[in-house]
Amino acid sequence: MDFSILTDQFASLTFDGIALGFIYVLIALGYTMVYGVLRLINFANSEVFMLGSFTTILVATKLFHHTIESDPLTGFKLVYTMLAMLIGSMIVSGVVSVLIEIVAYRRLRARTSNRLTSLISAIGVSIVLSEAVRMATSSAPMGSPRLLDKITLVTIWGADIRVDTLLVIVFAIILLITLDLFVNKTRLGKGIRAVSMDYDTSRLMGINLNKIISTTFLIGGLGTGAAAFFYITVYEMTRFSIGFELGLAAFTAAVLGGIGNIRGAFAGGIALGLIEMYASAVLGTQWRSITAFVILILVLLFKPNGIFGESLQQARV
Amino acid sequence: MNKKIKASAAIVAAFALSFGAFATTSASAATTVKIAYQGPLTGPEAQTGTDSIRGVKLALKLYNATNPAVKVELFNGGDDQGDDAQGGTVGAGIAADDAVIGVLTAYSGPTIAALPSYKAKGIAIVSPSATRACLTDPTNACYGAPVFHRIVSNDDLQGPALARVATNGVKDPTVFIVDDQSSYSVGLTAAVKKALGTAYEAGDSAAKGAVSDFSATIAKIKQTKSNVVIYTGYYADGAKFLKQLRDKGYKGVYAAGDGVLNSQFPKLAGKKQSEGARLTAPTVPLDVASPKIYAAFKKEFKAEPGVYSTESFDATNIFLQAIKAGKTTRADMLAYLNSSSFSYKNTAGITIKFQASGDLSGSGLMNQFVVKSGTIKLNGKA
Amino acid sequence: MSFNLRDWGANLWANANKWQRYVIAGFIVVGAFSLPLLEGTFFNTPSTPFVSVLFYPIGVYVLMALGLNVVVGKSGLLDLGYVAFYAVGAYTAGILSMHTKLNTWEILPIGIALAMLSGLVLGAAVLRLRGDYLAIVTLGFGEIIRITALNTKSVGGANGITNIPNPPTTLGFKFDLDHPRNYYWAVLILIMITILIVRALSIRRPGRAWEAIRQDEDVAELMGVNTYKYKLWAFIFGASVGGAGGVLFASKAMFIAPNIFTYNISILILAFVVFGGMGNIWGVVFGAVVLSYIPEKIRFISNARMLLFGLVLIIMMNLRPDGLLPRKKREKIGVAGGKSK
Repeated sequence: MDFSILTDQFASLTFDGIALGFIYVLIALGYTMVYGVLRLINFANSEVFMLGSFTTILVATKLFHHTIESDPLTGFKLVYTMLAMLIGSMIVSGVVSVLIEIVAYRRLRARTSNRLTSLISAIGVSIVLSEAVRMATSSAPMGSPRLLDKITLVTIWGADIRVDTLLVIVFAIILLITLDLFVNKTRLGKGIRAVSMDYDTSRLMGINLNKIISTTFLIGGLGTGAAAFFYITVYEMTRFSIGFELGLAAFTAAVLGGIGNIRGAFAGGIALGLIEMYASAVLGTQWRSITAFVILILVLLFKPNGIFGESLQQARV
Repeated sequence: MNKKIKASAAIVAAFALSFGAFATTSASAATTVKIAYQGPLTGPEAQTGTDSIRGVKLALKLYNATNPAVKVELFNGGDDQGDDAQGGTVGAGIAADDAVIGVLTAYSGPTIAALPSYKAKGIAIVSPSATRACLTDPTNACYGAPVFHRIVSNDDLQGPALARVATNGVKDPTVFIVDDQSSYSVGLTAAVKKALGTAYEAGDSAAKGAVSDFSATIAKIKQTKSNVVIYTGYYADGAKFLKQLRDKGYKGVYAAGDGVLNSQFPKLAGKKQSEGARLTAPTVPLDVASPKIYAAFKKEFKAEPGVYSTESFDATNIFLQAIKAGKTTRADMLAYLNSSSFSYKNTAGITIKFQASGDLSGSGLMNQFVVKSGTIKLNGKA
Repeated sequence: MSFNLRDWGANLWANANKWQRYVIAGFIVVGAFSLPLLEGTFFNTPSTPFVSVLFYPIGVYVLMALGLNVVVGKSGLLDLGYVAFYAVGAYTAGILSMHTKLNTWEILPIGIALAMLSGLVLGAAVLRLRGDYLAIVTLGFGEIIRITALNTKSVGGANGITNIPNPPTTLGFKFDLDHPRNYYWAVLILIMITILIVRALSIRRPGRAWEAIRQDEDVAELMGVNTYKYKLWAFIFGASVGGAGGVLFASKAMFIAPNIFTYNISILILAFVVFGGMGNIWGVVFGAVVLSYIPEKIRFISNARMLLFGLVLIIMMNLRPDGLLPRKKREKIGVAGGKSK
């Protein structure tokens, strides 16, 4: 154990941890939105992320003909290329997410069978998607061209504040605020809250359940797509198994914060990012996920519903 | 209920029937022998297997295209997912097919699990990638002789070479080693550490494929003020790590072993970031070794060769060389590989032989490479 | 009259008298023991030896699915880290064989006991959690066990433990590479013991308590069921079966390593339980047999193998959401199961 690293590299570790945390936050949204409404762990969300990350790269390489060795872009060209990548990833992820709901969950929901059935169905979808991509890419990792040069904007106490990580943080905050406003202020958002509060009653009140649920999956997918874009912008590489690797962390983050709760996803994601970073530095990277799980168990022992121990509706009403 | 049970029964039956039908079509003619590839073709490790089996397929295709007297087929069904638990079952299956006269095994774990079957049936193994030291260690429980051979270097050969290459020309080297917790990596790390002696400063372990963000590791490298970083895992993670390392301003040496030797490595790590990276390997990448075979590989699979593609190509050719020499039974094959007169000239033009333990013998097997403007260049003997 | 395999089976049993039941049970036992005779027939697995497949994956997975069924199917506790107990059993076998001269049959009870102990420790800490929170915590526990083994040099780290001895020759039955049949029979005996225990528990107080907890935990608590205690017992029982599976697996494979015990195994076994029909012993057995047999049968189409497996899961879940042989609906118990209960 080496605690001196905490004092030596504290600012650096903290900033990196927060940046990583925001990626977790965005993926966790996909789990949390669906859970809040359907009380269902959307296991296939991790594969939505995986597809989004591939889409991001493919937009850059196929649509804009950048290669992995292309030089970084500047100015207007940079803005529209990155916007296209972001939108492409969000659209594909959103559509896939809605399709998953129709293929894997809708029929099961109509037959009011138990939730575990949906879970297995979701696992089936997740296997099919990752295996299909594995076969299509012959298991190879796919690298992304560096379009946004990683310029260090400013160095604070030894921590380099880089433009790409800053972008992630700023956009993630904008996205979270937008989502929060959407759920709270719009008619559709009200519908989502109503369904999340009481499934049966909201149906009786004439809410179009399928529409609300599709919207929820769409929003979850869009958030996950955005997460995939930011992930690629920072880490510049993906592969077919990325969904599982990040999905598990994001899911842990969602539960840590209190699943079904947008603010919980935020708190959980940031907390997990920091925990992982500090644990890796002090104990060694091989202990990072164990530390995360042990802290999760401890948190749940004292706060059985996560840090923000209410669900979507209770937080809002 | 009735309709549904019928529907489900029909589906199960349809599956069963179609699989049964497929299964019975694999009969073998008299002038055909098989070799098997036991490795991960599906699941999380599938990439290694996919890259590897392409080398096997290419070698077989080139061989069978010459219209030889004895055709050689690939055994269908050697997928062990790189899973130690499945290795035993898959190995027993391969051993049960009498047409199989030689096996390429990919991962050390499943190889060890399958070893009892291969030993019992006397099937020769030439492994392109099982690097675990115990497989060729007569004092160890998992010793693989007489059936096991490998054309990949063992850790005792590569470790000192990698240590030497990494610290070459560095004044007061302070070495930081990052491993990926795979058994390949753990073994190599131990050998490198031993060779480094006091130059070794600290290390970290980031499980293969499980870590996206190496910031904490890099923070430690900065803290220890290391000027040499050795990565002992595979190329995908190695590239990801190197990219982040350079982006965070590290200026020292980056060195890695044969797991990183892949033409995709400099591309994934970035041209600027990978410049000057030092690699060691007992082989050379296919494009350096033989542009002709590299072109054939790209044409056949429309993809770049990966880790162990060259080794698999060579391992297959060793079997084919034996078959050309008329060794078409298991016993003949094994005797041929174990005879002291056996030698094989690999794709890179290096002549290799086997020791009694199954390891490569001879000196001058280790090469060093350096990455220059986005490509891996051979840089002489290590 | 529509035909329904589950009801047909249940009726047959319910309407049979004592002697007829012995005959039925006898048929099932003899049938199960003579499965290795199917080698070389239509059921043969094309590229793996059929009798070995009967032991692993089929036999071991059936055993573990039965154990998980008590946790998930009977008591409704979502456990995503069942592999932890399998790992505890296997590592007990590995470590004891390194340091002691105990044989497999002597290690078996120790492995079971240690698995139960880890079930107790985990369960005591986390069983106050509900539903999906329990799921993530158990998942985490499974990962903790695996990564700890990976990080611990004294149990071999990534290299695992090699040369775990086979069981000794017992009552004239040899346990080695050439006798996979005897392994299958050994796991079959464990499976049958498990089935008998689960059946016995199901119709007694613990079974009723589990059923009550599964249907509504709060109501069960109000009705005076000590839910925490019975949940803990379900957990411990499940753990013991997983541990037994681990010991047996280690002694056949002779080699274990951390990457055998990934989270995928937990998911796979959960899939067996749900696919077959949660809560119903025969459904679970059937589900585990079908789902662990199919990948072996189609091993030769290696590349698309897992893809097909995923498709089968989606299609079957959509066609039969309650599993192939679901548990009986409550309202039917009075009619079909009247005599047996």
